[in-house]
Amino acid sequence: MTAAIPALLNAMTLISILMLVGLGLAIIYGLMGIINMSHGDFITVGAFSLALVQGLGGSFWMALIVAPFIGAVLGFCIEKTIIQFLYKRPLGAIMATWGLSLILQQGLQLIFGASPQRVISPIDATVEIFGASYPAYRLLLIAMAVAIMIAVHLFIRKTRFGLDLRTVLQNPEMADALGIDTRRVFTAAFALGAGLACIAGVLLAPLTAVIAQMGTNYLARSFFVVIVGGAGSVPGVVAGASFVGGAETMFNYMIPAAMSQALVLVLAVILVRFRPNGLVAR
Amino acid sequence: MEKSQKTFARLWALIGIAALITIYAAPLFLGVYSASLFRDAMLFGLMALGLDFLWGKTGVLSFGHATFFGAGAYGMAIVSTEMGLGPVAGAWLGLLGGIALAAALALIIGYFLIYGGVRGSYFTIVTLALGVIAKLVVLGASDLTGGDAGLLGIPSLQFPTRSGPQPLPEIGQYWFVISVVCLMTLAVWWACSGRYGTLLKSIEDNERRAQALGYNTSAHLLAVFVGSAAIAALGGALYATTVGVVATDSIDLALSTQAIIFVAIGGRGTLFGPVLAAVAVIWLEQKISSFDAQLWPLFMGGLFILAVFALPNGALKGVERLAAKLKGAAK
Repeated sequence: MTAAIPALLNAMTLISILMLVGLGLAIIYGLMGIINMSHGDFITVGAFSLALVQGLGGSFWMALIVAPFIGAVLGFCIEKTIIQFLYKRPLGAIMATWGLSLILQQGLQLIFGASPQRVISPIDATVEIFGASYPAYRLLLIAMAVAIMIAVHLFIRKTRFGLDLRTVLQNPEMADALGIDTRRVFTAAFALGAGLACIAGVLLAPLTAVIAQMGTNYLARSFFVVIVGGAGSVPGVVAGASFVGGAETMFNYMIPAAMSQALVLVLAVILVRFRPNGLVAR
Repeated sequence: MEKSQKTFARLWALIGIAALITIYAAPLFLGVYSASLFRDAMLFGLMALGLDFLWGKTGVLSFGHATFFGAGAYGMAIVSTEMGLGPVAGAWLGLLGGIALAAALALIIGYFLIYGGVRGSYFTIVTLALGVIAKLVVLGASDLTGGDAGLLGIPSLQFPTRSGPQPLPEIGQYWFVISVVCLMTLAVWWACSGRYGTLLKSIEDNERRAQALGYNTSAHLLAVFVGSAAIAALGGALYATTVGVVATDSIDLALSTQAIIFVAIGGRGTLFGPVLAAVAVIWLEQKISSFDAQLWPLFMGGLFILAVFALPNGALKGVERLAAKLKGAAK
């Protein structure tokens, strides 16, 4: 029994990470339909902002507040200069955002260097749960992920902006006719998605090596979190992350890590083929 | 109108012949090192040709075409070095094995996806995942693939001579590769020039309508997908046998995206354009990297954005448009 608890918590940690990583993409890809190949790099930017804030003497919590602003500003600039011209050209958007991803990665590496950035976890302690000791930071991560998911869900469901967003995404022409500034909503949604990715980056940073290429690891997986779950809803992200994260943790106990990641992607592809609308269909 | 078209066609034919002669004569004035770079670039051009056959002719974008290039390269390496065949039989069977492996993969994956109605951006993301899966599998199955280190000692292709089978000399290898690439390009161009090209175009424009006209569009898309994978694999297998080693960079996501940039810069659907673009981009990469290796990814990123905004139909069309504008201004 005590062996099962760390396994369960490991699964929940990975699921939380994937939820956070997928959340921003659920808005940008799931709702707006933009295949944002630079999503992984928004996560990297978040992790680097933590390193930067801590390097300047700030705390983890300060970074958690600063990072989403950096992300949102970045997202705003990118939407205004590149994405807004490509809503009718999905393949153009894929290529342009991939180019952007290369530039962001190499730019970060040129500025900060190739060696891993130093980040400090806010808590180092371990906690005893049912007789098994577990790093407290991971529990914090799980709690934060749940809180953020609920907050975003309420934001999209209950606020005026959320209503505008859902209206625009369902029918842009009609929304336009009703007097909603659709272009502004798109810009804001993209900035929101980028900001959320940066929060994910901050929370993720203490658990991995913070290098310029770290986002690439999450790119394919975050797309499948969104697609497997069902495009563009918070419950969909939860379902997708649970599927991908749960399966990966389980396989990790049986086969080497590279193979288990490959196997999960294969399963995800098969699932997408048979349930193209995802687990939680709208 | 007709006359001017005829002179135009003649002009293109002349340019083509002149280009061919230059390409064949290149090692004589470029030197052996540059020629070998050019040769390798042409093999990446073959991957670009494969991708253009799919993306340019049917509009289906694969974000994981290096999977097939890599399947060709690894198939070649595994058959020729780990099956206990001699270097002569090993290399030729490896070439076939690599292509067969990629074609079989494409057939299974393509059947599963294309007949399942996966199209458009979904197809692109799924093929992106395929590339990631392929690399993870190569890393995971290190007993067979050598993992991160790759496989060494892949034999060269040998041709019968009076004193038994011999590998080609450097310049002969160059000519062999150039000939294969030119022939494949011509073959794809010829296949797409008539009714078949029109059919593929109609599938790209409106698949439902092509279906309603009685065409089995899934079967055609699958055939093109397998063909395009086989062409990329031919490039990969030849690359492995000429260079002698294969490593994970020949199955990497970065290579898949390079194939896309070759096609985008060369002009989607022009077939010759992507091959030339592969050579041009790789040449540019060499130049810029010799200046500072860290700059190249920035340039590559810029190229992607440039391709989307400034050259939506490729550099050739861009030049053509510019020429037309100048002609208009001259009148």
